[in-house]
Amino acid sequence: VTFNLPEILRSKREMRQRLAARPVGEKLRLLDELRERALAIAASRSRGAAPSRPSIGTTPQTPGGN
Amino acid sequence: VKVKQILALVNRMQADGVIERYAIGGAVGATFYLEPIATLDVDIFVAFRPEPGRLLVSPLPIIEYLRARGCTLQGEYIIIADWPVQFLPPTGPLAEEALAEARLFDVEGEPAWVFSAEHLAAIALETGRPKDKTRLLQFIESGALDLGRLDAILVRHGLQERWRRFEQQFLEDGP
Repeated sequence: VTFNLPEILRSKREMRQRLAARPVGEKLRLLDELRERALAIAASRSRGAAPSRPSIGTTPQTPGGN
Repeated sequence: VKVKQILALVNRMQADGVIERYAIGGAVGATFYLEPIATLDVDIFVAFRPEPGRLLVSPLPIIEYLRARGCTLQGEYIIIADWPVQFLPPTGPLAEEALAEARLFDVEGEPAWVFSAEHLAAIALETGRPKDKTRLLQFIESGALDLGRLDAILVRHGLQERWRRFEQQFLEDGP
C-alpha cells in the first residue's frame, strides 16, 4: 500500500484495464451485481430518510401515527 | 446472467419478426468494450417494422409480444429479467448508422448486437451530458477506439467542432 498519488492512479488504471479485458459474460454478471447493490443502497437511503419537519402549529407525528 | 436472458428474449423477438435490427447502446453497450459501468437500465435501439398505413412507428407490437411472455410495463420501461429495458428508435442519422453498423458479440452462446465502440463514443460526444463525457474519456483512456474510424464518423455527422472543444477541455495540457 502506498500513498503515492501517481502510483495510485496507475494501479486504478490497471485495475480498470483488467476488468475491461474480462469475458463479456463475466462483465455482464458484474453489471447485475452493481445494479442490485445500487438498488439496495437506494432502498436503505429511502428507509433511513429523515421524516419531514412538522411546520409550526402542527402536532408532531409519532412513527406509525395517523 | 440476467442481461443474457434479456438478449435471449430480444433475439427470439427478432426471429419472430416483431423487430428488424436491434443493438444495445448506453452503459450496457459500453460494458462490452470497457470495465462494467454501473447502470439501472438497458437501452436497446431497434428498427421498428413500419405498420401498413401508419406514418409513425409504434412500440405496441414489442409491448404486446413481451407482455404475452410475462414481462410487465413500468412507465417507459419494460421489465425483463428484473431489468428495466427501454426500446428506442434511432433518433437521428448517427444512431441510424450505429444501428446499421452494430457489432455482433457472443455472450456465453447468446448472440448480442451492440453499437461499435466508435459509435458509442460519437453518441456520447453528441449527447454531451457530464456522464457521457466521462464515458468518452473512459473510451479514450482504454484504447478501445479505432481513432481513424471515430474521426470518419465525427466528420460524417458534423461533430468535429464538438470534438475540438472536448479535446480542449479534457485532453490538452493547459496552464
